Amino acid sequence: MFLPRVQTMITVFYFGLFAMSFDFISGYTGYLSFGHSAFYGLGAYFVILVANGKVPLLGNGTPFMVLLLLAGLLAVVMALLMGAVAFRLTGVYFAMITLGFAQILYVFFSNWDYVGANPRDGIAVLGRQDGFAIGVPYVDSLNMTIGQLQGDTFTWGMDFAAMTGIGALSPISHTIALGPGEVSYYMVGLVVLVCYFAMQRIIHSPFGRAMIAIRENEERARAVGYDTFRVKMGAFAISGFFGAVAGGLFTGYRTSVAPENSFYFLTAGDALLASIIGGFGTVAGPLFGRLFHEGLHEFLTKEGGGLLPYLRSQLGEGTLNTVIIDGFTVAEAIEVFLNGRAGLYIGLLFVLFVLYVPNGLLGTLRAYLGGTVAGQVAQAVKGRVRGWKL
Amino acid sequence: MIPLVSLVDALLHFLDPSVLARVLFDGLAKASLYVMIAAGLTLIFGLMGVLNFAHGSLTAIGAYLGGLVMVTFAASATGNVGRIALFFVAIVVVFALLTAFGGAMEVTLIRPLYDRPPLYQILLTFGVTLVLEELLRMVLLFYDIQPSTDWLAAQGTRPDIISKTHDVFGLGVEGLEVFQILLGIVITAGVWLFLTRTRYGLYIRAGSEDGEMAQALGVNVHQAFTVVFGVGVGITGVAGALLMWDSAWAASIDLGAEVLLPAFVVVIVGGLGTFRGTVVAGLLVGLVDAFTTELFTSDIVGFSALPELFIFLILVGTLVLRPQGLFGVEEVGGH
Repeated sequence: MFLPRVQTMITVFYFGLFAMSFDFISGYTGYLSFGHSAFYGLGAYFVILVANGKVPLLGNGTPFMVLLLLAGLLAVVMALLMGAVAFRLTGVYFAMITLGFAQILYVFFSNWDYVGANPRDGIAVLGRQDGFAIGVPYVDSLNMTIGQLQGDTFTWGMDFAAMTGIGALSPISHTIALGPGEVSYYMVGLVVLVCYFAMQRIIHSPFGRAMIAIRENEERARAVGYDTFRVKMGAFAISGFFGAVAGGLFTGYRTSVAPENSFYFLTAGDALLASIIGGFGTVAGPLFGRLFHEGLHEFLTKEGGGLLPYLRSQLGEGTLNTVIIDGFTVAEAIEVFLNGRAGLYIGLLFVLFVLYVPNGLLGTLRAYLGGTVAGQVAQAVKGRVRGWKL
Repeated sequence: MIPLVSLVDALLHFLDPSVLARVLFDGLAKASLYVMIAAGLTLIFGLMGVLNFAHGSLTAIGAYLGGLVMVTFAASATGNVGRIALFFVAIVVVFALLTAFGGAMEVTLIRPLYDRPPLYQILLTFGVTLVLEELLRMVLLFYDIQPSTDWLAAQGTRPDIISKTHDVFGLGVEGLEVFQILLGIVITAGVWLFLTRTRYGLYIRAGSEDGEMAQALGVNVHQAFTVVFGVGVGITGVAGALLMWDSAWAASIDLGAEVLLPAFVVVIVGGLGTFRGTVVAGLLVGLVDAFTTELFTSDIVGFSALPELFIFLILVGTLVLRPQGLFGVEEVGGH
């Protein structure tokens, strides 16, 4: 009952990837990329513009996986251009100049009528019927289409009894039917997982160590001999790449995009929320932070089977119509203070996290366990199992 | 791209003295708004180095509080003089309430963060803005005021002399713009006097030059921070109260986001710790805004978001060419 719906989880995946890419640069090098929404928007718009045949040299049937890769590479180029200017500055100024770049793109894409008839309200996929498929490009059987409406369905397992007509086979005949939602969930999740591992790998490489050294003490890192400018540029480019992939997944699934939910600076603000709550400076943390955010959001709306229907069914008419003060009933109080008010509680929680839990959920858990969760669990299992040798 | 012919057209268009005068006048009115919305931010940023992300929602709260005073007492204060007097009462009320609120916010929320990286202050004030915005939305819904559209009742309290367009030397001059310019001058002068003639102004100038040295010489920096944060938030609220009358801004929840980014631009372009820089940057942004708006309204350029685009181009351009801002670093403290 309180578990998030599949659709919500898909949102958690692609936005979580964006938050991860934001955290990759902001949490690990300490340079707050407040205009990170530029990359997300770039990926999002790129996919739709190609699908509508608006990008020269690319046909509208270009495979989605190719598009994701191209969007990422485009973002790398943009990150290098932005970084060349922005990394001359530090701290607040860095945050502001990236914000400035993102807002220029936001203003541009919400007014440029080339992208669509009504750019301020956003654009949708018009010139492509077959949807966006994740898998191995150009091999049909290894592709699954994602999307709310046009996504593929898939049946797992075989119904031997129905196939052969032999009733005795029914005990081994099990099928699980996956609808478009579930297929999208697994496919988007797969891409996010691969991206997560890639980022994790980079963080644990010598390059990643240099990024952390920059966060801890940039002057010292430079004195030790790291070319910090190059490391920062590299990190920004990588994070831009994954940010654009996240944006591409977003429109691949939603098949529409608006400037407000892509290029706008509050999109990066949401990534910031996810990072702080999940754990600033951890790769997986932002995903959990976003899960928390979406989960709370769903918990506090009418549709989600969360708190509100529960309260309505449990409290009963009498309680709901009780007047608290001046004709203001309990039902109205629920409507005003709870329904759709996730933003308020997330904001309060965010402030509390900044003040008292600066390491976020995952960082605090790690501090409590004394190492990464996976490492400590393995350690504990090893300790319990007698004769375990590795 | 603009073809050469229309470029010449544009030049001729702006050489017309009446057009030029109107654009300059619009620019001054816009500039005084930009200076005012940035003044509170620059005080706080200059001394404390805290970039107050809650600035926008505090402006919106100021707008609604000012509107509340105006709407409540509008019936008893009719006529031009009465309304304008009431407006000054509203400004004083807004300033007092928000200064108290800002001081409390500094003591409870910002103070624990001084020994952390400056990043955390941005994060914290960003969180505060989310909370304030939602709280404001809740209060508005409670009183059945539509939060996402402009609050027209507050705009309706404008006195006639301000709503009308006056004819001065053959030019149509909006009363509101005159009022904005006058108030902008008054508030700029007030902040200037606060910085140069009061004890806390001295502390701010000393603190933004060398905080540790000021502390060593016996300045209670903690107290100064509280006062400055409070006053900065108070001025922000006053700016909001003025914006409430302007139909281009008006009181709404969205005012927060509309105000926040231009205010950042003005402060950063002006440079850290200099009020003079903020005033100059405000003038620059205001004039560019008026000029580019004219380019669009006279059909020379068909891109409606030209002013917005140019504001951010000014930010990026300044940071590329002169990262410390127009009057930054070398002149820190030299207001």
